[in-house]
Amino acid sequence: MPKKTWENTLTQHHLLKRIPTAPFGNIRDRHIVGYDEYVKTGGYEGLRKAMAMKPADVTSQVKDSVLRGRGGAGFPTGLKWTFLPDADGGQRYLAINADESEPGTFKDRLLMDFDPHGLLEGIAICMYACRLNKAYIFIRGEYHHQAHVLEEAIKEAYENGIFGEKGLLNQAGVSGDPFVGECYVHRGAGAYICGEETALLEGIEGKRGWPRIKPPFPALKGLFGRPTIINNVETLAHLPFIMSDGSDAFKNQGVESSIGGPPSFGTKLMGVSGHVEKPGCYELELGIPLRTLIEDYCGGIRGGKKFKGAIPGGVSMGILGRDQFDAEMDFDIGRKYDVLGLGTSGPTVFDEDTDMVAVARNIARFYKHESCGQCTPCREGSGWLYQIMTRIEAGDAKTKDLDLAMEVAKSMGSMPGTTICGLADGNNWAARTIMEKYHEEFEARVARTFVPVTIDMAALSGA
Amino acid sequence: MAWIMKNSADAQIETRDEPYLTPDMEKKLREVYMPRYERPKGALFPALHMVQHHYGWIPQQAMQEIADVLEIAPSEVLDTVSFYEEYWELPKGEHLISVCRSIACEFCSATACTEAIKAKLGIDVGQTTDDGKFTLVELECLGSCGTAPVALIDDDLHENLSPDRIVSMIDQVQNGTYTQGGTGAVKEDL
Ligand SMILES: Cc1cc2nc3c(=O)[nH]c(=O)nc-3n(C[C@H](O)[C@H](O)[C@H](O)COP(=O)(O)O)c2cc1C
Ligand code: SF4
Ligand code: FES
Repeated sequence: MPKKTWENTLTQHHLLKRIPTAPFGNIRDRHIVGYDEYVKTGGYEGLRKAMAMKPADVTSQVKDSVLRGRGGAGFPTGLKWTFLPDADGGQRYLAINADESEPGTFKDRLLMDFDPHGLLEGIAICMYACRLNKAYIFIRGEYHHQAHVLEEAIKEAYENGIFGEKGLLNQAGVSGDPFVGECYVHRGAGAYICGEETALLEGIEGKRGWPRIKPPFPALKGLFGRPTIINNVETLAHLPFIMSDGSDAFKNQGVESSIGGPPSFGTKLMGVSGHVEKPGCYELELGIPLRTLIEDYCGGIRGGKKFKGAIPGGVSMGILGRDQFDAEMDFDIGRKYDVLGLGTSGPTVFDEDTDMVAVARNIARFYKHESCGQCTPCREGSGWLYQIMTRIEAGDAKTKDLDLAMEVAKSMGSMPGTTICGLADGNNWAARTIMEKYHEEFEARVARTFVPVTIDMAALSGA
Repeated sequence: MAWIMKNSADAQIETRDEPYLTPDMEKKLREVYMPRYERPKGALFPALHMVQHHYGWIPQQAMQEIADVLEIAPSEVLDTVSFYEEYWELPKGEHLISVCRSIACEFCSATACTEAIKAKLGIDVGQTTDDGKFTLVELECLGSCGTAPVALIDDDLHENLSPDRIVSMIDQVQNGTYTQGGTGAVKEDL
């Protein structure tokens, strides 16, 4: 594959086709795309194509596109689907992760705000391919408006024969195995942890959002103990394009891995926030350098200032330092630039005037607030980190506090193997990478730790 | 978050004769929400949202009534209510102002907005004004970082705030000229 150049990448891609975004359209023209308009602009074509195929072939096509999860972990979607056991006549579920609470992330909201049928079509394709008869869209409680938009769209989809008794899935042409597909909105109630997939399932079951110990994995025992697929909103919204235009069209976008890892194909919504001239959510091919994204799309750093750092995609990913402005936004980013990963690929950008100690304190407060409290290293560690960061910011800390913070941070997470879920890994990476990449700022803020030594001058001089 | 437990062994709950769960709500719960889930407890979130929306908080008597309908223990309802931030176990002000304090907002001057609201209302974060009109809270990322700083007034999101704008919006709420609907053409009648 020839190396991509990024000069002429200004093309309108498929996710935001119906959502005007600069430079292709005026934000003021954004409106909720209803069923009729959606169909007129080529909507539900992907579903129709999918339903002319065997379910297993739909899964193969998705697998072939190497679509990777857009919720943060980047797990190959088609592969996840193949973990499902064969249908046994019982309930099988799809849980759609619309919890979007990772600080710095605001991409799924855009899709649900204006193009809800894009998501619903993706849901229907997934339900058909995986033989799932009930879908719950778990949407965060604060998205009042988006929940209403979705409710309305679902109503339209029922009326127009997508879901329900008279729905398409219940005529399931080629599969010869029709079923009634239902789709509901399930509103969350203000807890970041419900974005973690098993906590999300607990939330749908009406319980507190405590992540489950895995295994068993949700594909085998998920919602109400039944096989369940969990996918992010944006992941599912890619499906109509993959089905209508084929997996090769999808693979023409994005990049191969430059370090021999799995590829990063397709486009990605990138919500840029922080100190840039034109923050906003753009759809771009994976692999675009952060610098190009910020300079070409976002009008550069605010006020012509210098770049100091950026969180690549939600605070859990850690930070890209001063010298990593050219980092490519793809799934290799974690291994190449010492961050946890691409995450939600919504960069929050900081200019040269930003106090990185304050950034670390803000993030530490977030984790202290959002830890669900099941695992001691996360519950206690997040509190410790917040206290230490507050102390450093106030100028009351000593050098040994830096070591302590580092030690606490390193010890927590599912990768060191001390916690149930990945929330603590996010805390670990955020604290650690900020302290490492801006260590001079932290050191300048703490009092030197020294051991006082008294010297008897008289004794020394031999008097 | 919610792992701190109060001693509730000898707790008394306040009750009133009129049920909190109105016949309409109960009907909706039984006919719309419960059939959606394999087990009745799945309908707990929608049930709590209805009560929260109607009363602005969730009285313990309401928890008991919901438990009866869903055929679960009242303690299971409390377990869920106490975990989630959006459910209020005590009454709050008539209007809830929630300012985002997460990363993009704090570094795009959310703190100045919070300070302006505090000065305007004479309360601290987490408090309610004496007239019971406003409660002020800070929340984590509201999913609108590109238009930071942002805040919710009740269910409505307001973006690109400045201290002056948020204060004038509070004025509008106070003198009754506040029209719902945040920034943008998003807000249409549904
Ligand atoms: C603490 C935590 C919070 C998460 N929050 C979200 C979220 O808000 N939205 C989301 O889509 N995925 C979130 N995830 C990732 C999900 O667990 C899961 O990987 C994802 O929903 C799978 O969907 P995908 O394969 O389509 O990306 C979170 C994970 C963790 C550990
Ligand atoms: S790591 Fe933290 S958030 Fe995750 S289950 Fe443990 S305590 Fe809860
Ligand atoms: S940080 Fe305030 S909305 Fe995301």
